[in-house]
Amino acid sequence: MLVSGLSAILFVMGLWGAFTRKNAIIVLMCLELMLNAANLQFVAAGVYHGDTAGWIYTVFAIAIAAAEVAIGLAILLSVFNQHETIRLDDINLLRN
Amino acid sequence: MGSSYDEVKNALDVPSEFVFIILLPMLAFPLILYLGMKFNGQKFWKENLKEGGLVALPVMAASLVLSLVLIRRFINETSVSDTSTVFSWANFAWFTEGATTEISLYSLNFGLYVDHVTVMLLFVASFLCLLINIFSIGYMNTDEVNDNKNHRFYAEFVLFCSGMLGMVLSDSFLWLFIFWELMGLCSYLLIGFYYDKPSAAYAAKKAFLTTRVGDVFLVIGLAMLWNLFQPYASGGDALAFATVFDHSNLQMLADAGKQGALQLALGFMFIGAVGKSAQFPLHVWLPDAMEGPTPVSALIHAATMVNAGLYLVARMFPIFGDSAMMGEFSDLAFIIALVGGITACMAALIAFVQMDLKKVLAYSTMSQLAYIFTGLGAALWLANSLDWGEYPNKGIVVVAFGAALFHLFNHAMAKGMLFMASGSVIHEMHHAHHDLHHHHHDDDHHDDHGDDHHDDHFDAQSMANMGGLASRLPITATAMFVGSASIIGIPLIGGFWSKEGIIANTWRVAVEHDPRFYIPAFLVLITAGMTGFYMSRMWFMTFAGKPKTEVAEKVHEQTPWIPIPLLVLIPMSLAGIVFASLKSTYFLGYKGYKLGEDGLLEGFLYEMDHIFVNPGTNYLLVLTYIAIFLSMVLGPCAAMALHGGRLDEGQKAKPWMQWAVTLSGKLNDKYSFAGWAEKMSESSFGEALRQRLYFDKYYDMAMMKIVAGFSNLSASFDKNVVDGFAIKTIIEKGGQDSSRIIRSITTGSARDYIMMVAVGTLAIAILLWGVN
Amino acid sequence: MLDDFDVITLILLLFPFLMSIVMLTITGMVSESSRRKLAPVWRMVSLGVSMALFIVASMMFTGQIGGVDWTGIGFNEYEFLYQYEWISSLGITWQVGLDALSFPMVWLTTFLLPVTIIATWDEKKGAVYHPLILLMGATLLGVFVSLDLFMFYIFWELTLIPMFFLILKWGGKDRKYASQKFFIYTFTASVIMLLGLITMYFSMPSNTEIAMDNAGEYTGRTFDLLEITSIAQSVNAGGIWLENLHLIIFAMLMIGFLVKLPAAPFHTWLPDAHVQAPTGGSMLLAGVMLKMGAYGMFRIPATLFPHALEHFQFILMLFGFVSLVYGAIVCLGQTNLKKMVAYSSVSHMGVILLGIASMQPIGWAAALFMMFAHGIISPMLFAVCGAFKHHYHSMEIGAMRGMAKHSPWLATSMMFGWMASLGLPLLAGFVAEFLLLIAYWHEFGWWILGPGLALAITAAYYLWSMQRTIFEGGEETQPPKEMEGKPIPDISDMEKVAMLILAGFTILFGIFPAIALDMMSDWTVTMFQTLFGGA
Repeated sequence: MLVSGLSAILFVMGLWGAFTRKNAIIVLMCLELMLNAANLQFVAAGVYHGDTAGWIYTVFAIAIAAAEVAIGLAILLSVFNQHETIRLDDINLLRN
Repeated sequence: MGSSYDEVKNALDVPSEFVFIILLPMLAFPLILYLGMKFNGQKFWKENLKEGGLVALPVMAASLVLSLVLIRRFINETSVSDTSTVFSWANFAWFTEGATTEISLYSLNFGLYVDHVTVMLLFVASFLCLLINIFSIGYMNTDEVNDNKNHRFYAEFVLFCSGMLGMVLSDSFLWLFIFWELMGLCSYLLIGFYYDKPSAAYAAKKAFLTTRVGDVFLVIGLAMLWNLFQPYASGGDALAFATVFDHSNLQMLADAGKQGALQLALGFMFIGAVGKSAQFPLHVWLPDAMEGPTPVSALIHAATMVNAGLYLVARMFPIFGDSAMMGEFSDLAFIIALVGGITACMAALIAFVQMDLKKVLAYSTMSQLAYIFTGLGAALWLANSLDWGEYPNKGIVVVAFGAALFHLFNHAMAKGMLFMASGSVIHEMHHAHHDLHHHHHDDDHHDDHGDDHHDDHFDAQSMANMGGLASRLPITATAMFVGSASIIGIPLIGGFWSKEGIIANTWRVAVEHDPRFYIPAFLVLITAGMTGFYMSRMWFMTFAGKPKTEVAEKVHEQTPWIPIPLLVLIPMSLAGIVFASLKSTYFLGYKGYKLGEDGLLEGFLYEMDHIFVNPGTNYLLVLTYIAIFLSMVLGPCAAMALHGGRLDEGQKAKPWMQWAVTLSGKLNDKYSFAGWAEKMSESSFGEALRQRLYFDKYYDMAMMKIVAGFSNLSASFDKNVVDGFAIKTIIEKGGQDSSRIIRSITTGSARDYIMMVAVGTLAIAILLWGVN
Repeated sequence: MLDDFDVITLILLLFPFLMSIVMLTITGMVSESSRRKLAPVWRMVSLGVSMALFIVASMMFTGQIGGVDWTGIGFNEYEFLYQYEWISSLGITWQVGLDALSFPMVWLTTFLLPVTIIATWDEKKGAVYHPLILLMGATLLGVFVSLDLFMFYIFWELTLIPMFFLILKWGGKDRKYASQKFFIYTFTASVIMLLGLITMYFSMPSNTEIAMDNAGEYTGRTFDLLEITSIAQSVNAGGIWLENLHLIIFAMLMIGFLVKLPAAPFHTWLPDAHVQAPTGGSMLLAGVMLKMGAYGMFRIPATLFPHALEHFQFILMLFGFVSLVYGAIVCLGQTNLKKMVAYSSVSHMGVILLGIASMQPIGWAAALFMMFAHGIISPMLFAVCGAFKHHYHSMEIGAMRGMAKHSPWLATSMMFGWMASLGLPLLAGFVAEFLLLIAYWHEFGWWILGPGLALAITAAYYLWSMQRTIFEGGEETQPPKEMEGKPIPDISDMEKVAMLILAGFTILFGIFPAIALDMMSDWTVTMFQTLFGGA
């Protein structure tokens, strides 16, 4: 129960950060935070139910998170090369 | 009521080898085109083969020989032929609703069919095709305008001949129509032979379109006819003559009460004939068609193709004549006669003022074809309404029908000859003009004149530039003389017999049976006098009097090949009495109807005797005969007085024409009516005649203003309303507007998207929670 | 040697498909400079492939392959049937086969492919053009051979892709607009058709009620057209299949086909697409692609919902009537040669609709023959338009006069094509028109004056345009200014070959229509008997 609450707090912190922060790297970190909140919940649920599936999902999620961070950082680098900024407010290519 | 069918003795199964009559010229078409493209400009092709003229000649000769063999066989062996199917064109199924719902299979076939009408027209077509081929070699190949183009002429020429012969020989209305259209195509191509002249291009289009209007009705008529005869065709060809003419089929049709529908179908088909034979109101194309080379005018627009409409109407005779349909089709017969009467008179009037030699002949053709229509109308009325069983009736019908067809024969021969003679005049005028103006003055520019030959201001076709040619063109003048006499109907010469028959029979119907016929009867009667005038006017303006231009003085006959067909046709036209006295089975009967062993001549003599001697005779008919005779004398005399004149000093025509020239000189001296004639021609009526009674003007206006205007309107409607409003405004603009609204929520800011994802997820979660 | 030729349909379909994919892939992989060298090679390969297809299809026609007598084939009987289970969970099979409805179309497609390539032989279009043409042909073949509704729909939509690119890449000035309009318009209509198909799929009885061979494991229903047909027929024999929905489904399917055909007032995509499309694209578009609409009408709605066809007979006739007459009138008002020809296609497609609406075996056979004849004639018209544009850099009627003088071959081809299209007897188009008139008079009586008027107007616009292009051209009407001083060439040898082939077949099927008409007629008879009874 405690762990679930902790993961919920972590998730809300991540969501809040993703909404409010302007720096893309920090937003990325917030996304990681949310992922890890989910991981925590998986592990906790796994222990609670005595089922290893939750742990296995966590391992997958960590691998995907790693890949996501790599791609995300690569995108950010590429964005910085083109726009010389990573402020999210200045990047609205989809709009134009 | 007697059966309308005499016993059929022995049917001739036409061997399918005779399909070569059609096939040979058809195959010569690609051959000449190919050779022409390959050898164009080479000496051998030009000198020895006459650019295809001598390829076409043996082909046409072979067609004529084969035709003669077929005709001989037909006459010797039988009085009627079977159709012999050559190949099956289309097979299809038909679903009949009704008491017995069933599907039956039908076919449309091509086959050959020979009867008396076929025989006559087959001879006319193949004979004139050959003669005009000979004429063309003289006419086309000696004019440098045509250099290196003649292969196109000969190719289209043989294709046309194939179409004409095919139309005559085919065994069903469908194939008659198919070859009919093939002729129309060739007519279009040949009128447009000098395609770089805008007037020729216009004339070609006009000819095709005007006849096309008729053809549309014809093809709809065929569809109606098929639907009528399909129940009785029992899987065969419902458009074959064998089915349509069959008495038991017609009887069943009559029992089913479908006479009116049949008359409607035949009426629709008649409109096709009106277009093809240039009758009112679809007549406007024929005078313009004179833009084509003269051999084309001679062949297509005088001797053969324009007869197709007559042939089609003559083909309907067995339906009209069948006892099952007795008295049902008198309206249609009257309409046919009426159209003929109106056209005859109108065309003759317009011919009064034409100055172009070929246009006079064109209107004369129109008028004479109209005669035949009137004659056919009367014959069909008689055939439809008289009881064949009673004694003299059969003879009356066959004489009436025979007279109309015999006029077709006479007219084709005479008019073909007249056109060739006019071609000879025009050709020699051209040469004379060329020699006079170009050779004498500037030899250096000789080569340049090939091209602008036709754009010269000198009009070699205008009779205003001719005069006094009788001594300079003896053969041509003789041919014109005989031809004109035959068309006018000078007693004992060709056309006299047939024209007399037509007028008398129309009057007979009017007086004895149907008073409506007084209108066409009266029209054709006064036309007889007008014919005498305008044909004589043409001859005397061209051949009598003093030459009106310097060119006309230099004219002489010099072109080879041209006189040959003229010399052949002169006796043909003169010998009308011989043909008229042939046994009617040879030419002019129909399927067992014949005047015993007598010929058409006996028929006429019997009829004249019947009218003049028989005390019960109506005096109107007697008066008719007198009127005919008078008009045939008065017309030429008036023309002589107005347009005749003596030849130059020292010039002398051949003795058989000299008397006419001298007579015209005397008449002209005495009563020249000069002031009166001028007044007439300056009056508004004269102007209306020169404007061809404004038909062309108003047709053109209707075409340009109404049809073209409406289609332009439709095109812009399609562009601006159907495409513009419906598609562009409603769908495209609507789509764009709605997309603009939706687009405004895509801000492009990543944080907004994260927000949307979160809100969306939350929404889904709540939804799922709510559902569970 | 080989007894079982059934797989040949599959080969006919897959061979050009794979060949074009291979060519496109190779083209995509090589560099810009070698692409230019590839272009003539691909042209040659495409010609070879399409010639091979044509030869195979012709041998199937004559019976040398498979020994099929096409005249004996009745409705719902298929030759060269090949079936393979594909997506069994939904009852989707990979099923191809030929009958007298589809085989003429297949033959026509294989005939037009090499002719199209020959006619546009000299146009420099790069290495992608010819593979795309081949791909176009393959997708069209797919539409005609597939006997599974799912597969049919896939190929139906696939045909849009190569055509879209053909217009977009090699089209005229407004090609972007035209290609998108073409795509969106026909695609939207197809989606309605798809909805109709899906409605039908889910409303038909599942295999718990009726025994089915190819029912899907999950849905219990099938896309197999043969199976659906037999179900529908067994119901239709005594009643109406899907009685509460049959009118709606029929209408939804028909919308897709009417837009494709196209019938007025859904025709406006066609003139734009034709005017902008390159010659080869136009030839295939008019020659085969439009016939997909008519083919579809016969294959699905008419087969499955004969009662709805009867119900909508008069409305269908009105659509055809308006297309025919209105199309002809609009033609007369056009100033652009290619646009005129495009509208004439609308007009002729009206004839097909009238044939379908006539509800006579002969009217149906006339419609089938019109599909076939127009498939030979209209490519010739567009080939002529293409050559015209190629030589004179203008499509305006009247911009160029006296063509007969300097380009006799082009002028002759034009006249031939125009004459064939206006229904001159002894050429293929007349056969269909005449047979149609017979059925039409029987069914609709005096309405026949409309088609009659259209026949006359058709002659008028063709002749008028000929007067102002082929004829005239004396001194006062010279070629356009920009052409002055330059020699005007006639069409090239390859174009001549294409014209001769097209003209030859037009004459062949005009004089001996029975070659193709017999099988169509037999098929429509059995179809009529199956659908509506009768002895």
